[in-house]
Amino acid sequence: MPRYVIIGNGIAGVSAAETIRSLDPDSPLLMIAAEEFPPYSRPMISLLLEGAVTPERMIIRPPDFYQRLGIEALVGHQVVELDPQAARLRTHRGESVAYDRLLIASGADPRPVEVPGGDMAGIFCMRTEAQVRGMLEMLPGVEQALVLGGGLVGFKAAYGLLHRGVKVTMLIRSPHPLAMQVDAHAGELIRRELEAHGLTVQVGVEVQEFWGEERVQGALLSSGQKLDCQLVVVGKGVRPALDFLPPGQVKVDSGILVDANLRTSLEGVYAAGDVAQALDSVRGRPWVNAIWPVAVEQGRVAGANLAGRPVSYRGSVGRNVMRIFGLDLMTAGLVNPPQDQEGYRVLAESDPRRGTYRRLVLRDGRLVGMVLLGEIEQGGVLLSLIQRGLPLAVEPEHLLEPSFNFASLMP
Amino acid sequence: MKKVLIDPGRCVGCMQCMFACAVAHSQSKTLLGALLDKPRPRPRVHVGTTPDGRGFPNRCRHCDPAPCLAACLPGAIFRDPDSGTVLIDPDRCIDCGSCAMACPFGVLRFHQDYTAPAGKEVAVKCDNCDQRQAQGLEPACVEACMTGALTFEEPDQALKRRTDQVSLLVLSGDEAQADLPAGLALLRAVKKATAEMNRR
Repeated sequence: MPRYVIIGNGIAGVSAAETIRSLDPDSPLLMIAAEEFPPYSRPMISLLLEGAVTPERMIIRPPDFYQRLGIEALVGHQVVELDPQAARLRTHRGESVAYDRLLIASGADPRPVEVPGGDMAGIFCMRTEAQVRGMLEMLPGVEQALVLGGGLVGFKAAYGLLHRGVKVTMLIRSPHPLAMQVDAHAGELIRRELEAHGLTVQVGVEVQEFWGEERVQGALLSSGQKLDCQLVVVGKGVRPALDFLPPGQVKVDSGILVDANLRTSLEGVYAAGDVAQALDSVRGRPWVNAIWPVAVEQGRVAGANLAGRPVSYRGSVGRNVMRIFGLDLMTAGLVNPPQDQEGYRVLAESDPRRGTYRRLVLRDGRLVGMVLLGEIEQGGVLLSLIQRGLPLAVEPEHLLEPSFNFASLMP
Repeated sequence: MKKVLIDPGRCVGCMQCMFACAVAHSQSKTLLGALLDKPRPRPRVHVGTTPDGRGFPNRCRHCDPAPCLAACLPGAIFRDPDSGTVLIDPDRCIDCGSCAMACPFGVLRFHQDYTAPAGKEVAVKCDNCDQRQAQGLEPACVEACMTGALTFEEPDQALKRRTDQVSLLVLSGDEAQADLPAGLALLRAVKKATAEMNRR
């Protein structure tokens, strides 16, 4: 009976554990969790900030989850060292754990902002429920907040704070919000929607330093402008949490590189979720897509492989859906194709009457990217076309029609 | 166990399934009453048009494994262990849209419903008419369908029925042995020709 160990109780780790148990009900299985809070839906922390949910509503497994599945849990332990030769790992509290089969699902950590004053009280990242709890505790007395970063986290932070009645200024380095997810046109529409709801957006700008006594009171921008604030949220991306790996022994890039079975370069060690860099089926190369549905699918595939069933992973596709005040947005795949490469074709259509904008990116007759602004309900059909990577059987223009639905693809 | 099956060749796009579904999921449970219900009841089956002009009653397949269930952030989507039906808890749903992003069939819709907290938009899809089935009734869409595009049968039996028909057709070489009634076949041909003419 092999001894399974899973580092991380995020959704990748939890999905892997459930999959292992469905195939192997009896072998010992240990999960090591850095966060004390029970397994929860990380994307929901923005709803916590907004005030739309209470903390218990984020919990996604029953209180007896570990017990029910016969899983031993080491909660509040962070893995700080991995010894592949001895097949052991060590936590920050000194616990030493042996493994036969290991899954690294340690997630990714928010990138801190490295400027003078960047570690002051009142400056938060938004990755864990504990961080959002900290923000909420500081919220009384906050009139102005700065959000650094125009990506998904920055966005959700701004939205949540606006809902709490705080004046928010978003500081973005890129030319428009959500530069990784949308094209310039959609980015502008989104920016206008946010500004119409009281958000101030500045593009092409960075913070050079923060000042304050005991807690943050303001920031100096690269433009020379000074902004007062009582709260700062940093949404400058995440970095896979792999510092505990022994240097030079595991193949890494930005994340831990894994093969089609989510195996790392170490014997008996797999990786899944935000820490893993598996094939991106649109980009055609290993890429970290640190999103919830990818963590679920990778957790399941890794779990199956760990339990002896060699399921192969077809590759991930970056995707996102969110509602921003009056706008609904769904994006997937390659939205801004490289300018210097052949074979790409972009189709886009705005329909002001319906309040929609749709952008499709094709490569060699296959759908590889999409942006849907408004009327997002058929997005899953388009996503499945991207995931399957098959040549389109219908004219691409059909995909832009208001009546596009599953039946549009039937011969 | 009986399941709702679709024979796409028989759908004429009449949309009676959509009306029946909406009424079955209304508070008043009658068409007249449903028209006055607030929030307005909406169907969970959606008739779309194929490129050839045929109708297709698109409904949730209650997949196993279900992509929507895996994608759901708050864990609002679950499976009834007895019937296998994939259901959405409107109280847990946070209207995030992750299920719609995951569904390859595009059957999720987002709107208010009398089963959800007042004023809240939630994810809605086919629920296999579990409540009707508990009363010994067929799913509403099947009951309404006049052409046999939607049936409620044991999948094995339906498969056997179809295999027998194909065998008869192949052995006899007689087109009349095809299962499609003449009227439907004619309608399909007309729609296809119309679509082709519109394309030119």
